[in-house]
Amino acid sequence: MNAVLDIVSAALLLLGALSCLLGALGMVRLPDLLARLQAATKPQTLGLLLILAGTALRVELESAATLLLVALFQVITAPVISQLAGRSAYRIGAVRRDLLVVDELADKVPRNPPS
Amino acid sequence: MTVHDDRSARAPARRFGARLPGVVWLTLVWVLLWGTFTPLSVVGGVVVGVLVTALFRMPQAPTRLPVRPLRLLGLVAYLGYDLVVSGLEVSWQILRHGRHARGAMVVVPLLTRSDQVVTAMANALSLAPGMMALQTDQDHDVWYVYALGPRDRAGVERARLRTMDMQRRVLAAFGSPAELAEAERRIAAAGAKR
Repeated sequence: MNAVLDIVSAALLLLGALSCLLGALGMVRLPDLLARLQAATKPQTLGLLLILAGTALRVELESAATLLLVALFQVITAPVISQLAGRSAYRIGAVRRDLLVVDELADKVPRNPPS
Repeated sequence: MTVHDDRSARAPARRFGARLPGVVWLTLVWVLLWGTFTPLSVVGGVVVGVLVTALFRMPQAPTRLPVRPLRLLGLVAYLGYDLVVSGLEVSWQILRHGRHARGAMVVVPLLTRSDQVVTAMANALSLAPGMMALQTDQDHDVWYVYALGPRDRAGVERARLRTMDMQRRVLAAFGSPAELAEAERRIAAAGAKR
């Protein structure tokens, strides 16, 4: 029973680490801020949740409850931060328009590119 | 001035009643933070909860939403599934396209008028695969969503339909029946057009 738990926990931890690694890779490889924000929020969040789940299996219940809180706040806050950063970036013209297949927001938002 | 009179006429007990869910929630967070369920941590949580809700008042009387617990549970499960798909899809974009990844800024009809539902939708959307709500325009009932991945018009339309479907799911969990019906009608129309 304990061995099974160990294996599941290890698998979760490794999967989580892999997901975080991919997120970090995305920060380097992806071309602009909006795309990088996706890498910073999606694989990163998934990775953190997997690592938390893997950890929760190996610690006593009380600590696991605290981990639940970490997971909750990550899921609630990450979208808000990325949305704020993304919108600010768009407004100051820090978004590479040439990388967008369509930009239906153009002309709707006052854009002040830094001169 | 009738509005003002009505507000001040509210009994203090009722105003506290409105704060109660907040106090309970904050107490729960407090207890979880300490990681120990003892009388001291619970009392401490209640004190902090009362203080915080007294110091930082929420906007007056938010409209009550019809919460459907079963649909809400379904939404949470779907979001969990979505987060996994999202992680995989963004990872795929990173590995497959990398520097040549493309995105789209898509305009999507906003299917609700309630601020609370918009907030929930924006958060839910941002967990969806490679998407992020960038801006809402409630004057024109649209919002602007960034999607990572679409490389052509068909991809853009898929992203648009996906965001509408996510809105429908949120509305199903806690939206007015009229808005939910309207959402389903518009999604059916958008799907038929393709």
